[in-house]
Order: sequence, then structure tokens, then C-alpha cells
Amino acid sequence: MSGTGPATIGREADPGLAFLGELEAAFERAGARAGHADEALEIAGMRLGLSFAGDAMREALLPPLAHLGARPAGEPDLRISVFDTASTGVEAPPLPWRPPPPEPGTNPLARYESERCCVLAAAGTGAVTAVDLERRTAIFHLADIAALPPNERAAPLREALHLLLGKLDRWMAHAGAVGIGGRGALVVGRSGSGKSTLSLSCALAGMVIAADDYVVLDLGPPPVAHAVQSTAKLTEKTAGLLEIGADTVAPEEYSFAIEGAPKAEVQIERLAPGRFEPALEVVAVIAPTVAGLESPRAERISAARGLQALAPSTLIQMHSRGATALPALAALARAVPSYSLALSTDIAANVVAVTRLLDGDD
Amino acid sequence: MSEARLRINSENVVHETIEGEVIVIDLASGSYFSLSGSAPAIWEMLAGGVTAAEAAAALEARYEADPATIGSGVEELFGKLAEARLVVEDANGNGNGNAAAAVAADGKTAFEKPAFERYTDMQDYFLLDPIHEVSPEGWPKPAE
Repeated sequence: MSGTGPATIGREADPGLAFLGELEAAFERAGARAGHADEALEIAGMRLGLSFAGDAMREALLPPLAHLGARPAGEPDLRISVFDTASTGVEAPPLPWRPPPPEPGTNPLARYESERCCVLAAAGTGAVTAVDLERRTAIFHLADIAALPPNERAAPLREALHLLLGKLDRWMAHAGAVGIGGRGALVVGRSGSGKSTLSLSCALAGMVIAADDYVVLDLGPPPVAHAVQSTAKLTEKTAGLLEIGADTVAPEEYSFAIEGAPKAEVQIERLAPGRFEPALEVVAVIAPTVAGLESPRAERISAARGLQALAPSTLIQMHSRGATALPALAALARAVPSYSLALSTDIAANVVAVTRLLDGDD
Repeated sequence: MSEARLRINSENVVHETIEGEVIVIDLASGSYFSLSGSAPAIWEMLAGGVTAAEAAAALEARYEADPATIGSGVEELFGKLAEARLVVEDANGNGNGNAAAAVAADGKTAFEKPAFERYTDMQDYFLLDPIHEVSPEGWPKPAE
């Protein structure tokens, strides 16, 4: 790792930092063996330095983030270093903490958090994220890229980004974002609420889309939702609903499952050419529910209900306390109106309902 | 009335007050909660540690209602909060004056029963990735 020194300060007092220091040394050895590949990206106005040891992790994790583009030279605001053992031949240091053996289908996490440091170690997948909040650096390690966890493939490095961006007043949120003319709505709710389907419906109908699953919020004012990855996830059922054929997404692409049916991860540009928008001003929060109605039904809801739709799914999926993220998400809920949207089986009518809410017509 | 002094379980819980309602997220269980009515006033007192009797006395000075109604409302809420592990015993605390601070300066208002709602729709996801807290003192330490 270049640009900042190793995590030596307070190592004795903070076992998380001590582990992080050993992990950083292992990353340097991996880079010396397999070669370093550095990427300078921009996320929500911040310089993100990604350092890969070797090509395997770079090829797997970079494509959804590549749209973040090249940033003019300068010291990164946040830096994440990534390596795996299988392709570099370098082992990670032994974990000081091990969660219990996973039950089938589960992925228990050991989480260590101190004022300066957070270490997340997953028993099922072996993924390790270690973050130094003071230096705004993180390391992500996997034993073998072949065992890339589905949730990591869907939202690369999200835990590290969540923790590091929070130090820069940027907030990861579990939400889609769609809009018209630069003004957009956050589409919020837990998995299965219809968030992705509604977001993709809007994009296919000619609106723009920044995300179907995760955004980075800058509270402004005005609040802005920034795209993180340029990909969307869909099941074959969703593709059928949206009339996305096998010529656009081949059957074998539905190959990974986080929960429920297998999903395909597809560049939004392929699904809805010209509709990807990297940033949208947020003028509304929309909480959809799959209701199977003949016509969609929108209702203004309180800021508390809007926060309730946005915050739990965000914080619980980020696997860290996020004590400072909740006030930020609440600030957004106070700043813009929130709506519930009981979805119709009529996809076009749902899109019309979203455009009306963007116009403040509830 | 229980004499146990309780405080917010801030190791596992994050919370935010918005439009007079408290949204509480328990990161150890994946459940989240809404507190309304007079529950936000009680929750505010719990930040510094408070007994049910102290909380009830503070509410009696603030709200127009007979002490028994207020007392039973506080007891019921304390029970639900403790059962959900949103509060823990504050063994060493002596309170911090929050109870007194909760007294209204401009006269009593109508008492609203403390309302407590629990939501468990995120638990499926949470159970896929259960979290076990570790600490410098010893590990692994299951989240409580």
C-alpha cells in the first residue's frame, strides 16, 4: 500500500489494528509476487483508490465499478486494497476471531469494532474486510476468487465503502434511484419489496436510473444519490415481467443467488441503453410493496415511515453499527417527502405513478 | 413497580427520533421498532438510565392522567423493551437528571399511552448472516 504508513499506532491496544497491519503486509507481499494494479476512481465526489494484487480480483470486482471513471491525479480520499490467496500464493494472517461453523445456507460473521477499526470475517465465504477509519483505508481478502460471495459480486466492497464513505459524510443506502431530468426518487425497502423491478421498469420506460440496489447519498443540500455499481440484478421472473428476452440476458447468466431465485448481474447499459445516470438529485423517497393491484396506489407517508423503509435494510445489510449513518438517513427522510406505493400488475401504470410522485402529485 | 434501573442497550441498538417518534434498530437481532405516544419521552429518559418509578414520576408531572394509568403504561413499556433486549440493567448508574428534564415547562398535556411496535421482516436476511461480536477481552463472544 502506498501513500500512507502501516497501521502501527495503537496496535498493542487495538487487536483489530494489529490484524489489519498484518493483512496490509500480506497485501504488499501479494502485490510483489503478482503485480500491483491501481485504479483511480471517483465516487460521490471523492477520490477512491483501488489497489489490486494481481488480476484475478480486479477482473471480478472492477467491472461494476469501472463507470466511476478515472479521477485526476491526487491523493485518494479513501483507499481499498484487494487480494486473494489462490492467485497470488500469499496467505492472509490467521484470523484472531473465528465465528462458529456455519449452518448450511448461512454465513456467520465475526465482527470486531473499535473507535478506529472494524474487522468483519465471514465463516461461510471466508471473506475478510478490515478497515482503518482514521487513515480511511481498507483491505478486502478472499482465499479464492472462485468462491466470490454472491453479495460481494452484487455489490463489491460495500462494507468497506459504507464505513469509509461515512467518514467523508457520504452514506451508502440500500435503495434504487430513478428519475427524469436530473430529479429522482430513492426506491427503498427490503429485498423482495419490488425495489429492483420498479427501478428497472422505470428505466425501460424511458426514465433514467442510477441504481437498482445501492446508492451513495450526499445530503447536500440538495441531497444527491450517486451510483455505486453500473449493474442491475434480475431474476428470470423479473426479466419475464419486464419482457427482457434471452437475446438480452442469456439463461445461463442467471447464475448466482443471495436469497431466493438465481439472479443475473447485467450492465444497465445493456438492459436500457442510454438510461444509466450516475447521479440524481433526490426529491422523494418511494417505498414500494408488491400488492398485485389492478392500479397502483400511492400514499404520502410520514418521514418516520420513510426512514423505517430506508434505514433497517441499509444498516442490517452493512453489518456494522452505523451509529452515524442513521442520523444521516433520517436527515434525508426529513428533507424530502416519502410515499408508499402499492404496486400494480400493470408495469406501465407503476411507472406513471412514480413520475407523478416526482412531480409532487400525490 | 420494579426498582431496576434500565438504560438503552447502546452496544446493539441504534435509534433516531423523527417527527416525535423513535425508530430503533437492533443490529443484534435484525428487528426494528417504532416507539410513539409517550414512549419517546420514556426512551429519552432511558438514555441516561432510569427506573420505572422515576420515569412514571416524571410523566406525572408532564401529562394529565391518574398515576395508576401512567404507572401501568410505563411498566408495560419497560417490560416490552427489556424482553426485546433494547434496554439492559444499568447496575452502576444513578440516573443523570433526564427524568427531571422531561417535565414540561408549559403545563400538562393529555397522556398518550406508550406505543411499542416490533417489525421482524428483516430477520430472514439477518439469519443468513448472523453476527457474533468479538472484543479484545475474549472471542468469539456471541451477540447478546
